Amino acid sequence: MAVREIDCLYELCPVPLLKAMKELKTMEVGDVVIIRSDHSCVGANIKEWAVKNQYPVEVVEVEDGEWEVYIEKTK
Amino acid sequence: MKPIVTWLKKPWPYWVGGILLGLLNVILLAMSGISWQITSGFLLWGVGILKWFGLDPLSWEYFEHFQHYYEPVITKYNVFLNQYTILNMGVIVGSFIATLLASQLKWKKIKNRRQLVFALLGGIMMGYGTRLAVGCNIGAFFSGIPSFSLHAWVFGLFAILGALVGSKILIRFLL
Repeated sequence: MAVREIDCLYELCPVPLLKAMKELKTMEVGDVVIIRSDHSCVGANIKEWAVKNQYPVEVVEVEDGEWEVYIEKTK
Repeated sequence: MKPIVTWLKKPWPYWVGGILLGLLNVILLAMSGISWQITSGFLLWGVGILKWFGLDPLSWEYFEHFQHYYEPVITKYNVFLNQYTILNMGVIVGSFIATLLASQLKWKKIKNRRQLVFALLGGIMMGYGTRLAVGCNIGAFFSGIPSFSLHAWVFGLFAILGALVGSKILIRFLL
């Protein structure tokens, strides 16, 4: 299992989601991608997409105004 | 009832925001006589700034079409201090307070040179476009549709087309 990280600080929707979708395509099943963001809507935006596409997803506010979004590639 | 902070921590569903914005716009129109708009304020600031450089934008052909609209503001008030400026300040101060209450305030930096260049280019194109379309998403679309204005529907159609083309460009060249 590999863990990838995408630095999406200072970037707005929909760029973080598009970057995550691109990254997921190159990943193996079981790998996890972490998207780092400081834009409050990114978590909601990515979660909505991940739930719809049945990927396990977790959004954590790691510090004030900064979030990490975890997506596991399951298929 | 939960404290207000918990309501500010997470983005609201679209329908909650939509209903609230609609109601607030009705109240604003009833109380002040203008519907919510953003770029009118910036247009008048632009007029004021160009005046510092000795230009007289109000004599330009563009303003002949909007004389009835901006004349009361320009003659009675000030290009910098008027109801449109108050509206814009309200947006900034309001979102600032909400961000502070949610403890999500964070100074943003510019990621790289490319982001700066594209942000500037996009900003200039949007600013120029809003003045040709007589308003932005807010003034021309959001306030235009409930005013039964035909131009709002034309604006909406082309905003959707523009967003489609824009996302294609974003995915292909900018990601």
